[in-house]
Amino acid sequence: MATVARTIPADPAECAGLLVEAAGDRRTVRIIGSGTKSYLGDVGPTDVELSTERLAGVIDHVPADLTVTLGAGTRMADVAAALARVGQFLPLDPPHADAATIGGVIAANSNGFWRARYGGVRDLLIGTSTALTDGTIARAGGRVVKNVAGYDLDKLLVGSLGTLGVIVEATLKVLPLPEKSDGLVARFDRPADAFGTAHAVVRAPSRVDACVVERSAEGSWILAVQSRGGGPTVDRALRDARREVSTRHGDATDLGDDLRPMREFPARAIDGALVRVSLPLAASAAFADSAVGLESFAALVVDVASGIARVHLVNDDDAVLRDAEALLLAARMVAGAGRIERRAEHLRSRLLTWPNRPNGDFLMRRIKDAFDPAGILEPGRSAFA
Amino acid sequence: MRGLIALLGPAKVLGAHDDLLLYEYDGAVDTATPDAVVLPESTSDVAALARFCHEHAVPIVPRGAGTGLSGGAIPVEGGVVVSFGRMARILEIDVPNLRAVVQPGVINLHLSTAVAPHGLYFVPDPSSQKACTLGGNVAENSGGPHTLAYGVTTNHVTGIEVVLSDGTVVRLGGKAVEDEGYDLVGAFVGSEGTLGLVTEITVKLTPLPEDKRTLMAAFPTMDEASETVSAIIAAGIVPSAIEMMDQLATQAVEAAVHAGYPLDAGGILLLEVDGPRDGLDAARARIEEICREHAASEVRVAATALDRERLWAGRKGAFAAMGRLSPDYYVQDGVIPRTRLPDILRLVKDAGVRHRLRVANVFHAGDGNLHPLILFDSRLGPGELERAKAAGLEILTACVEAGGSITGEHGVGMEKNCYMPLQFQPPDLAAMRRLKSAFDPAGLMNPGKIFPTPSRCREFAFASTAP
Repeated sequence: MATVARTIPADPAECAGLLVEAAGDRRTVRIIGSGTKSYLGDVGPTDVELSTERLAGVIDHVPADLTVTLGAGTRMADVAAALARVGQFLPLDPPHADAATIGGVIAANSNGFWRARYGGVRDLLIGTSTALTDGTIARAGGRVVKNVAGYDLDKLLVGSLGTLGVIVEATLKVLPLPEKSDGLVARFDRPADAFGTAHAVVRAPSRVDACVVERSAEGSWILAVQSRGGGPTVDRALRDARREVSTRHGDATDLGDDLRPMREFPARAIDGALVRVSLPLAASAAFADSAVGLESFAALVVDVASGIARVHLVNDDDAVLRDAEALLLAARMVAGAGRIERRAEHLRSRLLTWPNRPNGDFLMRRIKDAFDPAGILEPGRSAFA
Repeated sequence: MRGLIALLGPAKVLGAHDDLLLYEYDGAVDTATPDAVVLPESTSDVAALARFCHEHAVPIVPRGAGTGLSGGAIPVEGGVVVSFGRMARILEIDVPNLRAVVQPGVINLHLSTAVAPHGLYFVPDPSSQKACTLGGNVAENSGGPHTLAYGVTTNHVTGIEVVLSDGTVVRLGGKAVEDEGYDLVGAFVGSEGTLGLVTEITVKLTPLPEDKRTLMAAFPTMDEASETVSAIIAAGIVPSAIEMMDQLATQAVEAAVHAGYPLDAGGILLLEVDGPRDGLDAARARIEEICREHAASEVRVAATALDRERLWAGRKGAFAAMGRLSPDYYVQDGVIPRTRLPDILRLVKDAGVRHRLRVANVFHAGDGNLHPLILFDSRLGPGELERAKAAGLEILTACVEAGGSITGEHGVGMEKNCYMPLQFQPPDLAAMRRLKSAFDPAGLMNPGKIFPTPSRCREFAFASTAP
C-alpha cells in the first residue's frame, strides 16, 4: 500500500489539527496503532498514515475505582503490566495481544474468549476522547462505571475501524486479578460431543472464563475450558466440566491456562481466507459441521460462549472464494452476520470484506457523513460502503 | 385529531381533555399535556403514525409505563404521546440461544417471571421493575442494584426493531452478540426516545445464579459505610450488589416496610454475592470481616430466602417510603468515582442544610451512583421545588467536578438537559447532535430532551451550545 506521508502526533490537540488539515486538502487518512490488524477491511492507498504511537501511556488509574484511562497508543502488554503491579487486569484477551494497542482493539472491536464472562470491548469501555475531522476533540462517557448522560458514542466507536475519528484516549473498567486460573483440554471424535459438552459447560452454574472448540487439520475436535477466580470456584468449574466431558466420552487433559494458540488463530491465518461470523449461540455446532465439509476447510475455532466462529480456508482461489461465500450465507441463514476478516494479499480484489450490506446501512452512511463529511478517514473500512 | 382517528381508528387515539391529563406526568416532577395520545397495537400502527407526524411536523413522544425519573415521557413541546401499553407481548423465549424477543410494553419483572421456569432471568432490575417497561428500559438504559457485576440494559440488548421519525422501519442487530458495521443498537440504547420508537427488543437471558448470600451491615456513620465499600472492592471481591442507605432513609423504610434495619445506625449497607455455591461462604465471611474492621455495629446474614426478600423489600420500597417523611421528593442520580463517596456525601448533606431541606440517601454505592432524595412540600408554594432543584444542581455540579456524571441510570430527559454543559463541552454535544441528525433529521423525536434548549435553559449561563 503506497502511503505518502507518515505522521505521529504528539498529543490529542496535534492529532485533531492534522485531521482538520487533511480534511481541508481532501487527503485520505489511515490510522495505525501497532499495525497488527492492518488486514481488516478493503483498504486502498491513503495519502497519510497517522500513528498513535506517541499517544501512549496510562493517563489515570485509581485502583479502588476499578477504572483506567489510557492513551490510545498504549500497548495491551503495557496495560497488563501496569495493572498487574496493583493486582488488577483489563479483562480483554484479544488476538495479537502482545503488540496490539488499546485504540486498535477498540476501533476493531477485537475481543477474545473472555467476552461472555466479562463482557466485550463495548461493555468494558466507559469513556473516550476522539479527534474529529473538524479539528475538535469530542469526549463521550466519562470515568465512572455507570453513566447515561447523553448518547453512548463510545458504542459507536467500538468496531468503527477509524472511520469516524481518531480515538485518542479511552477509559475502561478493570478487575482484581483472580487468585487462581486453571483449565482443561478434551478431545472428541464427533463434533456433536464437543459442542454438546461446550454448551453444557457454558450453561453450568459454575461460570467459566472461556469455552472454545477447535478443529485442527488432523481432524479431531478439541474443547478448551478455562476458569479463573477463587480457588473453590475454579475447582468446582473444572470438576463440572470434567464430568460433562466424560459423559460424552471425551478424553480430558490439563490445559494449564494457556489459550494463546487458539486466541492467536487470526494471526496465523495469513494464506487463503479467514471467515469470521457471529452466530446465535445454539447455531455454532451446525455451522461448524457445514464448515468442515467444505473443500477448502483448513481449521476452525469457535468461541462457544459468545457464538463467534472463525474458519480458515486454504485451497485454489476459486474454491476459497466459493467456500467463503457459502460460509457467510450459512451465517445469514441462521440470522447471524459475518465478514472476510483476512485473506491472502492477492485475493483482496476478488474477495471483499463485506460482500453484503449490514442492517441499517443507510443510517451508518448518514452517521459517517455527519462525522467525516469529506470522507477522508479510512476509506475502504466501512461495512456499508 | 381527526386525521389521527381516520388513520388508526377511534380505539387507538385519545383526545379528550380528561384522558390527556393522565399522560401529562411521569415519575419525575415536570408535567406537560399532550395534544393527543396514540395506543398502537403493532409496528405498522407505529409506522403509520410516524409518517403522519412527519408529514404534519408533529413531535412524537414515546411512553412506556410512565415511571421515568427525568421527564423523558413528558411532551414538553406538545405533540403526540405514543403509549406502548398495548404492545406488551413476549414474542419468543429462545432458551437454546439465551434470548427473548419482546414488545416494548412488556413489564420488566414479567419477563424475568416468564423465563424463571427455564432457570433464566433478565438482569437489569430497576426499583420500578414491577411497573416499568422494557421499552422504557431501552430508552433510559436502565440499571438497578444488580448492575454492579452484571451491567445495565445496554449490556443485555442485542437487537431492536425501530420506527424512525419518517416512518421507516429498521431492524438492528439480532440474536447474535454483534452485527457488522457500526453498533447502532449500542448507540440507540439510552437515547431516551430521541432517535426513534422501539417496537421490538431482543434481550439476553442469563442463567440464574446457583446461590446467593445477602448481608445487611450497620455502621455508626456514612463515612465508615463508604470506606467499607472501597475496602471490599480492594480485597478483590466484586459483589453483585452494594446498596447504601442513610439514617433518614432507614427510618422511612422501617416505618413503611419493616425490613428490620436498625434505626440507630448512621449508615447501612446491603450487600449481595452470587454465583456458584462454592466460594460464596468464603466471600461472605471476608465481607463480614471487612465490615467489622470498619466498625460495623451489626452484620446480619439472611438465613432464608424470606429474610433476603425482606432485606431487599426495604431497599426496593425506599422511594415509595419517602411519603412517610415528606409529601414530595426530588431524586438526583449523580455518579462519582466510588472513592469519592465520603466527601461527596458530606457535600450532599451541606447542600440540604444550606437550602433548608432534608435529604435522604439510598443508592447504589458499589458503582458510585448516588440517589439523594431531596424532600420538599409543594403545598408551601413554588419556592419549595425551586429550592430542591437548586440543591440538586449543587449536588450534580459536585459530582461532575469529582469526575463523575449528572445521571447514572435515570436519564437526562427534560429535567437535566440544561445541565448537560456541566459535563460536556460544545464539541462533545456537537458530536451527539451528529448522531441525532442521522436518525432523526426532522427533529421530531422527543424534542426538548437531552440537549439544552435555548428557551428553557436561558437561566443557565453555561448553556450556549447551539448546533
